[in-house]
Amino acid sequence: MTNELIPQVAKVVAVRRETSDVKTFTFRGEGGLPFAYMPGQCAMVSLPSVGEAMFSITSSPTQEDMEFSIKRVGLVTEALHKLTLGQAVGVRGPYGNGFPLEMLQGKDLLFIGGGIGLAPLRSLINYCLDNRADYGGVDIIYGARSPQDLVFTDELFERWPKVEGVQVQTTVDVGDETWQGPVGVVTKLLEELNPDPQGRIAITCGPPIMIKFVLRTLAKLGYQDDQIITTLEKRMKCGVGKCGRCNIGGKYICVDGPVFTVAQLRDLPDEL
Amino acid sequence: MKAISKTALPDLFAALKGRVYVPVREGKGFGFAPWDGEIWPADYQNTIVPPKQILFPQTEDLYSFRMEGEDIAIDPASGPEEPIFIFGLRPCDHKGIELLDLVFRQGPYLDAPYSKRRDNTFLMVLGCKEGLPTCFCTSFGLEPAFAPGADWNMWDLGEVLLIEPGTAKGKELLDGLELFREATEEEVSQAKKLRDEARETITLQAPVEGITEGLQENFEHPLWEEVARKCLECGACTYLCPTCHCYDLQSTSVLGQGKRFRCWDSCMYCNYTLMAGGHNPRPTKRERVRNRFLHKLQYFPENHGEFGCVGCGRCLQNCPVHMDITRFMAQAKDVMAK
Repeated sequence: MTNELIPQVAKVVAVRRETSDVKTFTFRGEGGLPFAYMPGQCAMVSLPSVGEAMFSITSSPTQEDMEFSIKRVGLVTEALHKLTLGQAVGVRGPYGNGFPLEMLQGKDLLFIGGGIGLAPLRSLINYCLDNRADYGGVDIIYGARSPQDLVFTDELFERWPKVEGVQVQTTVDVGDETWQGPVGVVTKLLEELNPDPQGRIAITCGPPIMIKFVLRTLAKLGYQDDQIITTLEKRMKCGVGKCGRCNIGGKYICVDGPVFTVAQLRDLPDEL
Repeated sequence: MKAISKTALPDLFAALKGRVYVPVREGKGFGFAPWDGEIWPADYQNTIVPPKQILFPQTEDLYSFRMEGEDIAIDPASGPEEPIFIFGLRPCDHKGIELLDLVFRQGPYLDAPYSKRRDNTFLMVLGCKEGLPTCFCTSFGLEPAFAPGADWNMWDLGEVLLIEPGTAKGKELLDGLELFREATEEEVSQAKKLRDEARETITLQAPVEGITEGLQENFEHPLWEEVARKCLECGACTYLCPTCHCYDLQSTSVLGQGKRFRCWDSCMYCNYTLMAGGHNPRPTKRERVRNRFLHKLQYFPENHGEFGCVGCGRCLQNCPVHMDITRFMAQAKDVMAK
């Protein structure tokens, strides 16, 4: 019986700076990919002498490598940001349910991301684009505080818009002299775009306040609770539904989540 | 049913191949400790700390690590190998272990250290003769002097212990040792009497019926504020609970070398759910007390079909400000009736 709490060792094979406080790391295990996973699943990344934390896997399983986009906010992420090429980290997973791919098949997809919340969505976006025939139109709305806070700019502005049937709209809360795109919150763009709810699934991730207003706007535009998907995060230690802390009601976010439809969330107590 | 003279218990303990835990005097009370050749104490009612710590230790090493240049060397801690015999645990604590089994030995992930120990554990339950004023096991359908599914059930008849095996491995163990005689008919009826009389000594009752459904409807209720007000958040209730299973993972290290271990944690602590960045989904003791009660009475039943409380009474007996889950349940019942 293997102990699920013991990580395997992986190496940093690439580091890309996204913003002043977000970096994307590529990890490779001894045999290549540390483990198989699906979009929306998470993994525990550790530096044994510092600690361990749960992150969504931002790469798509259709890619060769495993990537994590990590924002510097605390003890572990501060240490992770100091990682350089070739250094070792601990990694274990995959954890969580991932996105409900069967439910998305054949549907038009509407992605609404804010800030680092684009990280889990990116896994699914790239998965869908690599399996283009399985999905309908793809609309991506993304917002960040400022042009400097936009992550995955290469994909947002170059790669994704070039794919047929894909529309990307990016907005910032506060622009600057370099910014020529829309200014304002994502809900403003969402209302302007007004995507028809018929046959479409909305998938959103971002700061709690953004999610709150996005859900309100989607409801206004006619989206039903079972047409809206979001992902949650909580403090986690074990990742396997036993250490106790990530529950909302009787559900453990690490095992039963992190992906829920809004209809599922309505059945849970309000303890986000 | 078999019988063994109490004076022969050291022979029994010596014959068991593995580590034998027995209740021993510990300060003003009792606790489980490895048998060291001394006779076991007969006058305990229950131990202060439940025997869960034998299977789920308060701290436990997971692995040691060493930074070697850019690399990390990880060396898993060697797991427990010896069979474990827990002699004299009470039926409530036996049930507590069965509930921990639901958490650690079921679902998509097994807890390896716990499962490995548990697979190799014999539970030898000693029936209570008399409950404490804080005992309320019968409210949850338990019997103070019988544990269904225990490897052995035992009854203390004064000079002798009566033993009834309840599992195949319990029977095999009993048949394999030549320390026992057949119990007489009179002894068997004495044990039955003890079992029936013990039930009558449990006087504290908690209103269990409909509590889960009622709580599901009352996540937001002023009662939570009121119930939580006097809590000191010391966490004693969670540490002494036979079913609390929350844990933390921590590391110690010096100069890039150290170990990672797990230790008990408590949902009563303010930083338990605190996230990097400062958000805390359970920011005050109202939410934390609510989580503890709901975990026992709503979430555990929802997830496992059983209450997460066995009525051992440790939390109410040891709370410095007399928080009382039975009183809470009665209050909740009142509120829900309105």
